Amino acid sequence: MSKRILGLGLLLLAAACGTPSQAGADGPIAVEATDDACKVARTSANTGTVTFEVTNKGTKVTEFYLFAAGDRILGEVENIGPGLTRRLIVEVTEAGELETACKPGMKGDGIRGKFTVTGEGKKSTDGDAKLAEATKSYQRWVNSQADSLLAKTTEFVDAVKAGKVEDAKALFPVARTYWERIEPVAESFGDLDPKIDGREDVIQEGLEFTGFHRLEKDLWVTGPQADTPAIADRLLTDVKDIVTQAKAVELTPLQLANGAKELLDEVATGKITGEEDRYSHTDLWDFRANVDGSQAAVAALRPVIEEKDKALVATVDEKFKALDALLETHRKGDGFKSYTELSEAEVKALAAAVDALGEPISKVAEAVAK
Amino acid sequence: MLLSNGLIGLREGLEAALVVSILVAFLVKTDRRSVLPFVWLGVGIAVVLSVTAGAVITFTAATMTFEQQEAFGGAMSILAVAFVTGMIFWMRSTARTISAHLRGKLDDAIKVGPFAVVVVSFLAVGREGLETAVFFYSSVQSAGTTTQPLIGFLLGLAVAVALAFLLYRGAIRFDLGKFFTWTGALLVFVAAGVLAYGLHDLQEAAILPGLNTLAFDLSDTLPEDSWYGALLKGIFNYSQRTSVLQAVAWCAYVAVVLPLFLIRPRTRARVAANH
Repeated sequence: MSKRILGLGLLLLAAACGTPSQAGADGPIAVEATDDACKVARTSANTGTVTFEVTNKGTKVTEFYLFAAGDRILGEVENIGPGLTRRLIVEVTEAGELETACKPGMKGDGIRGKFTVTGEGKKSTDGDAKLAEATKSYQRWVNSQADSLLAKTTEFVDAVKAGKVEDAKALFPVARTYWERIEPVAESFGDLDPKIDGREDVIQEGLEFTGFHRLEKDLWVTGPQADTPAIADRLLTDVKDIVTQAKAVELTPLQLANGAKELLDEVATGKITGEEDRYSHTDLWDFRANVDGSQAAVAALRPVIEEKDKALVATVDEKFKALDALLETHRKGDGFKSYTELSEAEVKALAAAVDALGEPISKVAEAVAK
Repeated sequence: MLLSNGLIGLREGLEAALVVSILVAFLVKTDRRSVLPFVWLGVGIAVVLSVTAGAVITFTAATMTFEQQEAFGGAMSILAVAFVTGMIFWMRSTARTISAHLRGKLDDAIKVGPFAVVVVSFLAVGREGLETAVFFYSSVQSAGTTTQPLIGFLLGLAVAVALAFLLYRGAIRFDLGKFFTWTGALLVFVAAGVLAYGLHDLQEAAILPGLNTLAFDLSDTLPEDSWYGALLKGIFNYSQRTSVLQAVAWCAYVAVVLPLFLIRPRTRARVAANH
């Protein structure tokens, strides 16, 4: 009985302490530190967990460091008093030339030695952890954009209700920028999307025409209507709702990858045609924001994609660069030209740049799913 | 061997012992002995946690990555600065109340939750507790070949506690106004050092830049492994190679907090006299 309890205790302990990392095939590397020497028993190791056992045989307190290029500290043990042995366990993820150093008396650059790490790039955190980190970092980005969306929509709505048409017109594309950046997340809450971002065409689907585009029509075409303030209030309520939901949503990496693609499709169907902001012609702002959103999703997934398909990362980077450069040519003041100012050739060039990006971006999802 | 390990023990133990002793002296002087158990509770929790975590790190293969360690240490330090700063001003407001001879109002002035007392004591001890515990275990492990490091380390800790006790006894003798001014000013410098130390941790983890942009390097003139260097490091977190960021943060903290602490606010009596 007591034996069984003991076993259980040990099991719990093992579980609590995580999986023990393997101390390399050949055990820990002994380091003998004295006041004027730093003897490292082996000066090479494979990628993965590298363990040093540092024994101070000198008279001064010493420190032991493992440096990567440019003296970036990969690991250190301080306070190795004379006569003590202390352990340094480092995860070395990439092969390369490193440096070990003992610092007797804790001063200066220490007694350096070369240390070579060979083997495959390895991460003790498995692919899943990387994916989890990717979704977390994207979620952080979504949260920051959602906060700005709420802040700017509030300003926009206030201007609309105060009858400040010019102010409202200026705020309209700004508030929409944050919306468009996180659109795939927002679209996952089906019923809110048409309320906030529906075009006039929703009337044919038996829905009411509300949200950004209804206010856009009021501002640019018809002038404020009797129910404009009410519509503005509803927009703010809906945006608050979506911000709360967007912050709580749990995304999967695949959703992220698909989101990056959806944003580009969004550009191809909505922005290139100029149908989305048909009254204000601020389509280029939305265009830029969609591309930002796509870039953010790819950036979050970057470590994952790099591991699976390095060439793809390079391609995606290059195509994003080209599209960015093209968009920059249409800047005007703080924002962008009106969409009506673009020549047919310019629109075609933009469409081509988006298409060129769409193809590698759709491969991102494949790489993630691998 | 005995001496240099002893100095490590002294250094690691001093700051914690100092903050705790000032806190205890303060509570005793203001007749708040009822709060004392909370000080020991905070200290106890920190010791138990450090010893447990130290054991896990020493005797199992569990390990934190270097960045995690430094980020943890840095965050703990900055948190400790916040709480010690709070303690300084809490003492100051109490001193004001006392110097205004409003003894009856004393209780209002130091209506600080026992929780805050627990946190201050916990952070003072826990900040370096993990490193100290791991050091202790390795000195125990080496006791197979030589017991000198272990003995030295324990002696160093004992000296730190003894020094803190002497400070406590001395502080208790001061009259109240002096006590507050001196211990408060001392704590300002302690907190500034903790802040600089925490930032240095974050620089080592490359979370903050500028690790090797040094303001000064006194490794030869004022080494940390000398007895006076160890005392300076223990009390004020002096470091022989101080980065520019550390130096700027230290100066900025002292320049802001010390005057705030020392300037006596105009008492109401004077306002009344102007009428």
